[in-house]
Amino acid sequence: MTASLLSVRNLCIDFVTGQTASQALRNISFDIEPGRALGLVGESGSGKSTLALAALGLLDKEARIREGSVTFRGADLYAMTEDGRRALRGDKISIVFQDPFTSLNPSLRVGRQIAEPLLVHRGFTPQQADAECIRLLEEVGIHDPRKMMRSYPHQLSGGMKQRALIAAALACDPELLILDEPTTALDVTVEAQILELLRQLRATRNLSMLFISHNLGVIARVCDDVCVLYAGEVLEQGPTHRVLVDPRHPYTKGLLASLPQLGGRRHRLVPIPGRLPHPSARPAGCVFSDRCAFAQGERCAQPQSMAAQESGHDSRCWRSLELAGQGWRAATAEQVPPAPRPARTQALPMVTVQGLERTFEVGGWRNPLARLLRGRDADAAELSRVKAVDGVSLSVGAGEVVGLVGESGCGKTTLGRCLINLVHPSAGQIRIDGKDLVTADARARRAILKDAQMVFQNPDSSLNPRKTVREILARPMQLFGLADSASELDRQVLELLDTVRLGAHYADRYPHQMSGGEKQRIGIARALATRPRFIVCDEAVSALDVSVQASILNLLADLRDQLGVAYLFISHDLAVVSHIADRICVMHKGRIVEEGATETLIAHPRHPYTQKLLSSVSSIEKHAGHAAPMPA
Amino acid sequence: MPERRNPRKITGLHIGLALLLFIVAIAVIGPSVSPYEMDATSLEQRLAAPSAMHWLGTDEFGRDVLSRMLNGARSSLVMGFGATLFSVLVGVPLGLAAGYFKGYTDDVIMRVIDVMISIPPVILGLLILSFTPPSLWKTTLAVGLVYVPIMVRLTRSVTLEVCGEEYVQSARARAEYNGYILFSEILPNAWPAIIVESALRVTFAILLGAALSFLGLGVQPPASDWGLMIAEARPFIASAPWIACAPGIALCLTVMAINLIGDGLRERLDPRLNRSRA
Repeated sequence: MTASLLSVRNLCIDFVTGQTASQALRNISFDIEPGRALGLVGESGSGKSTLALAALGLLDKEARIREGSVTFRGADLYAMTEDGRRALRGDKISIVFQDPFTSLNPSLRVGRQIAEPLLVHRGFTPQQADAECIRLLEEVGIHDPRKMMRSYPHQLSGGMKQRALIAAALACDPELLILDEPTTALDVTVEAQILELLRQLRATRNLSMLFISHNLGVIARVCDDVCVLYAGEVLEQGPTHRVLVDPRHPYTKGLLASLPQLGGRRHRLVPIPGRLPHPSARPAGCVFSDRCAFAQGERCAQPQSMAAQESGHDSRCWRSLELAGQGWRAATAEQVPPAPRPARTQALPMVTVQGLERTFEVGGWRNPLARLLRGRDADAAELSRVKAVDGVSLSVGAGEVVGLVGESGCGKTTLGRCLINLVHPSAGQIRIDGKDLVTADARARRAILKDAQMVFQNPDSSLNPRKTVREILARPMQLFGLADSASELDRQVLELLDTVRLGAHYADRYPHQMSGGEKQRIGIARALATRPRFIVCDEAVSALDVSVQASILNLLADLRDQLGVAYLFISHDLAVVSHIADRICVMHKGRIVEEGATETLIAHPRHPYTQKLLSSVSSIEKHAGHAAPMPA
Repeated sequence: MPERRNPRKITGLHIGLALLLFIVAIAVIGPSVSPYEMDATSLEQRLAAPSAMHWLGTDEFGRDVLSRMLNGARSSLVMGFGATLFSVLVGVPLGLAAGYFKGYTDDVIMRVIDVMISIPPVILGLLILSFTPPSLWKTTLAVGLVYVPIMVRLTRSVTLEVCGEEYVQSARARAEYNGYILFSEILPNAWPAIIVESALRVTFAILLGAALSFLGLGVQPPASDWGLMIAEARPFIASAPWIACAPGIALCLTVMAINLIGDGLRERLDPRLNRSRA
């Protein structure tokens, strides 16, 4: 074994608040050898970011290292002084954070922010720093570095900002680059570019990486090795192509079974039941035992130790070897065959949209004086106008699921909001069940909106924090007079909860007392409360963890089958859309550029933009090889 | 595990309520229990230090400070609470409307508010009060009016923030009535900020009322008022500090009580801070 660059040994970190300590990380051990990239994968709350900060020596005050060590080239990070750590951070280890939109200071020019470490850590003169800055920006693929250096962050796109941040991280010629979800906030095509850039940098600079992500596809694309983190423990680690193709730990198997795959339509996902345990209430033995489909006997109630599989591949489960080749799907009790869908009659379109346009005017549109001063020519007025939706025609049949895919800013959200009257179109026609929404008066509009509802993206924002679930679900029914009496209303609330697979005791909870997935179920129940026949799902599963996302996708599919609800399913994630949609529309710059049945569109994309989108998607199959066929 | 709140535990809210009750009681029964007439002057006893005869000393006219303080409580409290209540009643609906309806409604309301803000409060008070003979309720309304812009701006900014939340979008997506959205979806989430601001406003209102009284536009001497007492005691702050201290401490206690209640209410109204899990 070559001398490793970063070595984490048996690391245990506690968070101490007041008198109580909770364990954030337990017995973490891994090595990164020079030139290798290690991926850390896990759902939110698994301890990924804490681990990244620990490797940087940047832990918060509440965090205490109980045991173990982090060594960089043989030097213990926590045995040295703060100054020593700071020097190391400046010189040898750099980090790129998740959100390029907030990581740059908006009031300083980009060049200044990249040059800063050069001036401070490497003692460059301003001229030298400028020259180096240009070289760095060229290295990260910026075509006009001088212009970029003069720009302020708001003048750059997300991808450009992330490139600038990577350039800044490379400024001191580090040996180890820590990337904390570097592409999560970016569009899929930009993500593909950034990942390609990282691959090049590794090759040219012999850079080592610690790459943190919740996205298994991205990890498969970038990393040589992967650590699967759950509840503060590493459950499985080894070479990426082994761990993701032949997973040995039940949790890894579960994650993979939860993942919707491109073109895997109607292939029912098998989510992991339950949820990540609270750090103070973890199971005594194996941390995954309470959700594990393979749990068996006494030995699961004891703490698990790493069991070696092949060379370099370990799994924290005593049944690992025996479970090789067995899929999560085979073990789960839920063997409900997907209910046969009633044959869809093509006769009646539920929603038809024709020539829809929506323009937003940029600048002081209510101030005619400003426009007068800017010039009377029509061009000036035209310039201040942005067409978010530019002549879209679309139809959704009764009980049909239409996917709408596109990158941020393409107008898909505006289009979705037009359909439920949150945004008024500038031109065009929207008919819902034959009734015209655009020209309807207040009374007619209310009647139409009873049939068309929306499920929102963010479970933390979509429920009023000051209302109980009962109040949230009862209000739409009161509004439309769907219940005659209080007891009838109460009965229907419980029925709705049952529809979204939640128990009656949820009725008296406040939103903060529920997990993200439960909140999203309430959001769906609220949309169903008016008994709509058409629901707009705007990124309805994007904010959720993979295993939760799978169960919500299953729920949406079931509801469509049971209630015959039609969806317009808006998402940036092609794999998710292709999983649930019958038909897909691809939106680009306000227009629908391609439309077709899901299978055809995924297999034979015709428009160049669709092709680009599809080729940008990072998936495990594409980058780590095909999994052994799992029995369905 | 998060500890459960002991239902018997005395919280800031209880202390604040008790303190405020005490102060209100003083305001109500004060005039009948005060040892002297509040405007009884005594030239021998000018600027006397606290003694058995005058517990809190006397002022420059030899008036008993304790008696004046007990008598002054009423007008101070009326001014503080009345003005704040007025500013909330007028300002909060305007702020909600401006933040929710946006567009022209917002423009009209906010430009009027801008004009009001551009006039210094004392001048505005002067303007309102100089045409008609001053009285307590007029001063109260004038002070309340001065604070309306602050309430409007605060409520508007909170409303703008809450309007971006998806539960408001969701209410609009089911064609919910505007009244329900404003008062049932948005307002409960705007209360915490409004309560905190109001608690602060009561204090300022008492002091602004005092300033107006000092200018002869509010409570008319020889009638008593805490703010007026502090203003009158200013020249003697070095030689006879007790004159300013007594109403000053009373004012401080009132402010403390109001702030404790404000914080307590904010916590009570927030289900997230209520630890009992369903």
